Amino acid sequence: MIVPMEHVLIFAAVLFLIGLVTVVARRSLIMILLGVEVMLNAAGVAFVAGALRWWDITGQGMVLFIMAAAAAEIAVGLTLVFNIWWRTKNLNPDALTRLKG
Amino acid sequence: MTVFICLILFTPLLGATLLALAGRAISRRLSGVLACLCVAGSLAGAIAGWSALAESGSTTQTIHLFTWFSVAGLNASFSALYNHLAAVMATMVAFVSLIIHVHSYFFMRDDESWVRYFCYLNLFVFFMQVIVLADNLIFLFMGWEGVGFCSFALIGFWYTDPSRVMAGRKAFLVTRVGDVAFIAAMAVLFYATNSLGIADILGATGTLAPATVTLVGLLFLWAAAGKSAQLPLLVWLPDAMAGPSPVSALIHAATMVTAGVYLLIRLFPMLVLSTLTMEVIAALGALTALFAACAALAQHDIKRVLAWSTISQVGYMVIGVGIGDPNGSFFHLLVHAFFKSLLFMVAGIVIQALHEEHDIFKMGARVRKIAPGTALAFFCGAAALAGLPPFAGFFSKGTILEHALTSAVHGPPIWMAVWAAGTVTALLTALYSFRVFFLAFTGKPALEPDTKTEKTPPAMLHVLWPLALLSVVAGALNMPEHVAMQLGIPPHWLDHVLGNLAGPVMEHPDQHLASMAELIDGSLALVGFAIALFIYGPWRIRKPAADKGLAAAMQRGFGLDYLYMTYVARPYRAAADLIWKNVEDGGVDSAALGLGGIAVRAGNRARRWGEDKLTSYLLWLLLGLVIMLVIVAAVGIR
Repeated sequence: MIVPMEHVLIFAAVLFLIGLVTVVARRSLIMILLGVEVMLNAAGVAFVAGALRWWDITGQGMVLFIMAAAAAEIAVGLTLVFNIWWRTKNLNPDALTRLKG
Repeated sequence: MTVFICLILFTPLLGATLLALAGRAISRRLSGVLACLCVAGSLAGAIAGWSALAESGSTTQTIHLFTWFSVAGLNASFSALYNHLAAVMATMVAFVSLIIHVHSYFFMRDDESWVRYFCYLNLFVFFMQVIVLADNLIFLFMGWEGVGFCSFALIGFWYTDPSRVMAGRKAFLVTRVGDVAFIAAMAVLFYATNSLGIADILGATGTLAPATVTLVGLLFLWAAAGKSAQLPLLVWLPDAMAGPSPVSALIHAATMVTAGVYLLIRLFPMLVLSTLTMEVIAALGALTALFAACAALAQHDIKRVLAWSTISQVGYMVIGVGIGDPNGSFFHLLVHAFFKSLLFMVAGIVIQALHEEHDIFKMGARVRKIAPGTALAFFCGAAALAGLPPFAGFFSKGTILEHALTSAVHGPPIWMAVWAAGTVTALLTALYSFRVFFLAFTGKPALEPDTKTEKTPPAMLHVLWPLALLSVVAGALNMPEHVAMQLGIPPHWLDHVLGNLAGPVMEHPDQHLASMAELIDGSLALVGFAIALFIYGPWRIRKPAADKGLAAAMQRGFGLDYLYMTYVARPYRAAADLIWKNVEDGGVDSAALGLGGIAVRAGNRARRWGEDKLTSYLLWLLLGLVIMLVIVAAVGIR
C-alpha cells in the first residue's frame, strides 16, 4: 500500500464529518439524503482501506453491499421526499409536525 | 294437528316478517290486506285445530314443534299444550284480532306509519298465540315478553309525542315488575319438578310440598297482576290509552290484559291445591274490581273510563279463578273480549270523528249525527258491560257472582266480602257504563265543544257489528239450565266444551241461590241504569264535577300513581343519584380517572423529549453516538 493507512482513515473521517454536518445542519430533506450518502461512502472508503491493509477481500465485498443499500435507500428516500413535496410543498423536515401530540 | 298449530302461530309471524322486510316495497293497500289475511290464516288454523281436537276425542294433546335449547335438564322446547281451553282461546284471539285488523285498515287510513303499525299488530298476534298455546313455560314466557314489547311499541306508536312514549315506557316497566315473579316461579318450579312443561307440572302437583304450591301460586298471581293490571300493578293500563284505539281494543282490552287470567286458568289444577293462594287471588280480584269501578266513575276521558272498566272486569275474572270457577272466569274473559273491544273501537270512531276529542262532557247528541250507528253499537257494548239482563255480560258476570254467593253461604267470611265487593261493583259498573253512554251520545254537551269534525268511513263501523251481535247473544255460550231450556239451546255449553278444568268438580250452585244471585245482579244493573239516567239523562244539565275532593281523587285513580312516584320512584331515584354521585363518580370513576391521570402526566413529561423538531432528533442521535464512542475509546474493546 503506497498511501499510509492513517491518511486514508483521516480522509474517511473527514468525509464522514462532512456528511454528518450536512445531515444535522441543512434544512432540506434532499441535502439530508445527500449527507447520508456521503457518510455511507466515507464508511466505504474505510472498508476499502482495511481490505488493502490486511489483504482481505471481505472489506471490498462489504463496499458492494453498502452501494446496494445506498441505492435502495436513495430510491425509497427520494420517493418519500417527492411524496412529502406533493403533500406539503415544503421540504423542511421541521415543518413535518403532524405526529406531534 | 301440528299443521294447525303451526298455522295458528306462524302465519301472523310470517305476516310481520314480510311487512318488516318488504312492507315499503309493496303498496299500502296490499300490505294492509296481507296483514289481515295472515290473521285470517291464524283464525282458520284455530277453527280447524279445534274441530280436529273435537274429532280426535282426546281432551289434551301435547305437540312438540322443535327444541329451542336444552341445558342440564332444563329443556326449552317449543311445544304446545292443546286442549279445549287453548282451542277456544286461540279462536277468540284470532277472531277478535281479525276484526280489529280490518277495523284498523280503515282507522289508520291516513297514518304514514301504516306498515309499522300492521307489522307490530301481526307480531302481537303471534306472541299472543304463543301464550295461548305454549306448554313449555319458557316458550310461554317468550310470548309473555313479546306481547309486552308489542304493547310498549304500540302505546308509544305516535312517538313524536313524548307523553305517549312515556306511557309506553311506563307500561313496559310496570309489567316488568310482575315478570320478575314469573321468572322466580319458573325457577322454583324447575327446582321442584325438574321440568317446565305445564302438562308435566300439573301432572306432578301431587308430589309438591304444600308450601311450594302456595309460593308458586302467589308468584304467578303477582306475574298475572302485572300483565292483567290488577292491584297493586294496575297503574300502567289507564295511561296505555295513549296508543291508537284499535290497539287499546286488541291489546289492552281483549287479549293481552287477559293473558294473566288465562295463565291462572291454565295452571288452575295447581293453584287450587292451596287454600291460601285461592283466597288471596279472590281477595285481590274483588279489591281490584271495586277499586277500578270507583275510579271509572269519575273519568272524563272516554278511553280512560273503558280502561278502568277493563281493570275492574279483569278483576271479576280473577275472582272467578279465586273462588274455584275457572270456567266462569273464562266465560267472562270471552264475553268481555267481545264487548270491550267493541266499546274501544266505537270510542275510537267517535274520537276520530270529533277530531281527537276524548272528553265525554264535550260529546253529546251531536255524535249521533256525525257518526251514525255508533250510539247503537256502543249501547250494545255498554249494556253487556253493565250486565243488563238479556245481554251477554249478565250471564258471564252472573256465573261468577253465583259461585261467589255459593261460597259465601257455605264458606268462611272472606268469601262473603268477595261476593259483596263483586255485587257492589256490579252496581257501579252499570252506573259508569251508562254514564258514559248518556254523556257521550245523548243530550247537550256540558262543555262547549270544539266544532271541528271529520267524516269517517262507514266500513269502520260495519266491521264491528259481529262484535255487537256477540255482545248481545254471547251469553248463549254458557246459559244456565232454566234459561236455556226456555230458549231451546244447550245449557252450559262452554262448561261441556272446556270439560273439567278444575280438577275437583265445581258443582253448580243450587237453584235457589242461583236465582237469588241472578235477581240481585239483574236488579242492580237496572238500578245502575236508572241512576245513570236520572243523573246523566239526556234532559239533565250535566256539569263535570269540580276538580277537588273525592271526585278528583277518583279521577286520578286514588293517587296510586302519586304513591308510587313518592314512595317507590323517588327513593329509587334518590338512591340512584347517591350511587351515581358517590359510588360511580366518587369511587369507580375517580379511581379510573386517577390512574389515567398519572399516565397522562407521565406521558406529558415524556412528550417533552419528543416535542422538538425532526432535526433535533438527529442532534440527539449524534450526541448519543459521540458518548458511545467516548466510552468505547475510554474503556476499549475487549
